[in-house]
Amino acid sequence: MPSTPSDTREDSPPDAPGRTAPGVRIGGLSVVYRTPAGELPAVRGIDLELPPGTITGVVGESGSGKSTLALSLLNAVQPPGRISAGSVQIDGLGDVVTLRGEELRRARGRHVGYVFQAAQNSLNPLKPVGRQLLDLGRSHGVADLRALVREARDLLGRMGLDGARVLDSHQHELSGGMRQRVGIMFALVLNAHLVVLDEPTTALDMITQATILRIIREVHEERGLTTLVITHDLGVVAEVADRLAVMYGGRVVEQGPTRQVLGDPLHPYTRGLIRAIPRLVGDIGEATALPGRPPTLATIPAAGCVFRERCPLRMDLCATQEPPTVAHGGRLVACHAVEGGIREERAGAGNHGGQDGAGGPDGRDGAEDPDGRAVAAGAREEQA
Amino acid sequence: MALIGVRARPGAIAVARRLAGHLARGLAMILVVTSVNFVIIRNIPGDPIAARYEKLVEQGMSPDQAERATAVLYGFLPKGSLWEQYADYMGGLLTLDLGQSLSTPGAEVTGMLAAAATWTVIPVLAGTLLSFLLGVTMGVYAAIRRSGRLGDVLAISGSLLHGVPQYVLALLLGAIFTTLWPILPGSGTADIMIEPGLSVEYAGSLIQHATLPVLTYALASYGGWILAMKSSVVTVLGDDFILAAELRGLTRGIIFRYVARNAILPLFTILALSLGLLFGGAIFIERIFTYPGLGLLLLDSITGRDYALMGGAFLLITVAIVIANIVADMLYTVIDPRVRSGEESA
Repeated sequence: MPSTPSDTREDSPPDAPGRTAPGVRIGGLSVVYRTPAGELPAVRGIDLELPPGTITGVVGESGSGKSTLALSLLNAVQPPGRISAGSVQIDGLGDVVTLRGEELRRARGRHVGYVFQAAQNSLNPLKPVGRQLLDLGRSHGVADLRALVREARDLLGRMGLDGARVLDSHQHELSGGMRQRVGIMFALVLNAHLVVLDEPTTALDMITQATILRIIREVHEERGLTTLVITHDLGVVAEVADRLAVMYGGRVVEQGPTRQVLGDPLHPYTRGLIRAIPRLVGDIGEATALPGRPPTLATIPAAGCVFRERCPLRMDLCATQEPPTVAHGGRLVACHAVEGGIREERAGAGNHGGQDGAGGPDGRDGAEDPDGRAVAAGAREEQA
Repeated sequence: MALIGVRARPGAIAVARRLAGHLARGLAMILVVTSVNFVIIRNIPGDPIAARYEKLVEQGMSPDQAERATAVLYGFLPKGSLWEQYADYMGGLLTLDLGQSLSTPGAEVTGMLAAAATWTVIPVLAGTLLSFLLGVTMGVYAAIRRSGRLGDVLAISGSLLHGVPQYVLALLLGAIFTTLWPILPGSGTADIMIEPGLSVEYAGSLIQHATLPVLTYALASYGGWILAMKSSVVTVLGDDFILAAELRGLTRGIIFRYVARNAILPLFTILALSLGLLFGGAIFIERIFTYPGLGLLLLDSITGRDYALMGGAFLLITVAIVIANIVADMLYTVIDPRVRSGEESA
């Protein structure tokens, strides 16, 4: 697919101001869900910064709170959930947690673009894509709808689709990969400079996955976006993300530059995740599942470390005290063991896991080398 | 929409082909029903045709005269081979000649059916559309407010009304509005003292007399609509594309239209089918309010052993249901693009 990075600015919608990539600062964010057993935390005390112009990946198992975190960026946590504490500061928008009604509606779509999982149906099945594009334009008071349609066609064309034809199609006439590109188009067409992608490649085949990831990277660079990618697939993160946050039980347990986190993981959970990835070459038995299961909303421990039940490095302290997030070089890690300097012992520890764990051989690509991204990307290409 | 340049769809031809197929099948169905109809009348115990013929002869008619008189009644000659009779009968149907009524000598069945149909179709149509509109609107509220008190009240009222049989409702309404609080007439189509015609008085009387039957039809089907719409809306509200629309910042009005159009789709089929059943008449309601519609006519034809009339009424019901099925299917083809393109690729 030819990429044409030169011509982007001229044909963006006329009444969208030329913005630059916004920075995002999430501070002390907590989200609780109302259940018969009371309000339970899905996301607890998250501090995360998305520097302007970067791609940040968030990985974690199902139920780790990563999608809830993504929805929080648009203040769109669905009932019975609600944001109970914290703030999400977005440059040019302010704290979205305090936005309400029309203000909030206008911010969605125009300032923050959101891309759904591919397998999900994010389009109205009864209307052609083009009509839904016009609905979007009218909702955001776009004066020149023709320019909007032109912009959409261009975007689709850049992603390798026949724009006019796609705009004329209904959802059921498009393949999964095409729908996903349409979703990306919808997130970008109003010139939003913060884009949140929730599981952008889940349920897509390997080749389409690779295409979508390339498109994400290209569009990100072309348009100068700040991008957040939510996934359970370490391979995806290794391929596109500059920075990486690992979530477990509603907490960010480790975050930092992708290469550092994947190449030299500090938190025992990150290490477990990477060890659980089956390699393309070598013995399948080398992949070790993480013992135990991830906590659900009801079983997240109220006190102490969320990961202690499955942790090979667990200490007495872990049951009573929540590990503080501590800086290690360019990285933030929340673990008593790492803090206590047990790092050196980690190589020998914790390899006694059974095969029944839910640690999830979700990820397909390995990344144990210091240069995590290169390895994972290489493996991906071999498969594709 | 000029902006997008609608691609010419091969849909029109496919739709025409689909319609043609439906019509062919519908005609075949009607042929089968009329044939069965003929066989039944021909084989009814006691052979009413022969009995009629003999009775006429006994009354002093010549055999020829008696034969012709019987033929007028049933649509085929009492003598002659089965095939001749069958051809006679079907030929009569083609010219909409369904024979003459037994119980009302000299009256054409076709005319009687047409007269009765007016008294059934208009009130039932009014009642059904009224309850459909009301039920669908309330169903949307019941779905949106499903965790609140309003939702509970609406859902419970729907379940209650849905559970009460039509005739109980009719008796109840009749008791309330004609006896307990006598503001509405309980029988007939209009005040017999008023000259029928295009007068305000007559029209007012017509409406007054139709109120109770229409109200009963409406209330009896309202419960079903509200429950169906509620569950349909709840399903659509949980669909991903609605959340996606919210996250794109679409206005509430547009999102409401997305929900409504997707949710109402399955209900259109039920509506079209229920309109087909309307020719069956609401026997109980018409009996209770002595409203001279098709239901009452059918009831009278059965109690009076009026086979020609009975056959005509059954034929009308069959044709109406066949047509309603075709309409329901074609309607779906028009309003749901997924069905349309399924046809294209087939």
